[in-house]
Amino acid sequence: MTTLLQVTSLTKQFAGKVVVDGIDFTLAENTSTALIGPNGAGKTTTLSMLTGLLKPTYGSVKMMEGDLRANIGFLPQFPQFHPWLSALEFTEMAAKLNGVPAKKAKVEAQKTLEFVGLGNDVNKKIATFSGGMKQRLGISQAIVHKPKLLLLDEPVSALDPVGRREVLDLLKDLQQETTILYSTHILNDAEEMTDQLLFLRDGKLVEYGTLHEVRERFDEPNYVVEFNTEKEAEQFILQSEHIGKAKGRYVYIEIIDEKPSMQELLHHLSKFPYKIRKVARQTASLEEIFMKVARKI
Amino acid sequence: MRGFNVLLQKEFREAWRSWKFLWIPLVFALLGMSDPLTNYYMMDILNAVGNIPEGFEMLLPELMPVDLLQASIGQFQTIGLLVLMATFVGNISKERASGMATLLYVRPISFGAYFMSKFIVMSTVGFVSILAGFAASIYYTVVLYGTFEIGSLVASFFTYFSWLLFVLAVTLMMSATFKTIVATSCAFIVIFMGQMINAIVGTFWTVSPWKLPLYGVQLIRGTMEMSDFWWSLMMTIILTIVCISIGTFTMKKNASMTKI
Repeated sequence: MTTLLQVTSLTKQFAGKVVVDGIDFTLAENTSTALIGPNGAGKTTTLSMLTGLLKPTYGSVKMMEGDLRANIGFLPQFPQFHPWLSALEFTEMAAKLNGVPAKKAKVEAQKTLEFVGLGNDVNKKIATFSGGMKQRLGISQAIVHKPKLLLLDEPVSALDPVGRREVLDLLKDLQQETTILYSTHILNDAEEMTDQLLFLRDGKLVEYGTLHEVRERFDEPNYVVEFNTEKEAEQFILQSEHIGKAKGRYVYIEIIDEKPSMQELLHHLSKFPYKIRKVARQTASLEEIFMKVARKI
Repeated sequence: MRGFNVLLQKEFREAWRSWKFLWIPLVFALLGMSDPLTNYYMMDILNAVGNIPEGFEMLLPELMPVDLLQASIGQFQTIGLLVLMATFVGNISKERASGMATLLYVRPISFGAYFMSKFIVMSTVGFVSILAGFAASIYYTVVLYGTFEIGSLVASFFTYFSWLLFVLAVTLMMSATFKTIVATSCAFIVIFMGQMINAIVGTFWTVSPWKLPLYGVQLIRGTMEMSDFWWSLMMTIILTIVCISIGTFTMKKNASMTKI
């Protein structure tokens, strides 16, 4: 995979307070990357520096080919438009400002608006738009000039479930031909369309890798055993010297540093006189990883 | 000047659709017609209002047409400028504060082009406004008092327009440099305090932009000391260009102030 963007020691201080603290990462072409972290982790500040709106205190953002500003599309968390313009006028203006020739700009603007689902509203004034429509328009102005890199700040957080689904599907389509970097705190979305994860906490990049890699690192093999009745579950706990915690018909066994070991667990299970319905290994969801990373000191 | 045409079109659309090309000229037209009318009908107005003691004789001054134009310009100088400046002082700063600037600033635009597109639209609104104001004032003056000589009248109009360009450049520069509230204060202080200082020490300080509105009138009267006029005009043009340059610079420098 070819590298598109290289970020080196990116740092931002506001009045002496470090908001983003020396982060390094690269983005490969046509991949999508989720920037996740708790509120105040520096996600928006990082994106702002990538767009060039905010000057880094230290460090650099380098696009491998071409000028950065000419090759990005940016969607802020709460995009604000000039209310006097229509959706088509705004999108067309966006395209022209990025150097698309006038005739082509109009055609592209129309096509893009249809793509984001605003085909019937192209000539309406933006002042009359709802939140969801504005978000779609925001995406259309970010992609109309076919940028190499798409930066999205919380693209779906403000939408209702239906709108979220639609926007996510849009982004999945775009994924084929564009590099996408988006921030989010909705982890299901990140799980759904991400090649790479960037975990920010207090301005530092604390986890970095593919979803699979990060998962491997945090995956502690926890097991759940299902019994037929609550009584049996409790009995198992007593018999096996409190190997786990009972909750209804289930016993949850947390394995920390190989304790209890697999042999121990199987040993207890084999000695148990009743039938066992299920023994399963649980993989950590992104949410659990998120909580662990967010709390890790 | 990348993107200049596109940005100019956007600014014109906004000014047009928010009726700025209609209501500001209307204000100026009303201001322009008020002086010739009220002065001409002063006696009738007083009689109609009543309460004039029996046998009271009032001597109203004989007014020349140019006196009425001067009075109208006096109106433009206070209420007119107030309206224009208050309308446009948020032109850049409000766009930043609301976040509307963000979607434009991330694109490869030239800040010089963006600043100039705003300045040109403001100037056009200003031009149409004082044109309406002058036309209204002159029309009623000609009907009620007497005629002007066309050449000096046109010269006077463009002298006032040069002053207006300076006012608008100061306003837009402040908007680029500060937040709206500070920009408003600073622009008003420069323009209106300048007028006050000019009123106090203007006799000794003959070369300044604040002199131009008066010099325009003196052109019609034919009492203008031409070297003072040319120096003031030149100084105004230079200061306007300086304001535009500073404004472009601070607009770019403050780009990160835009709400994201």
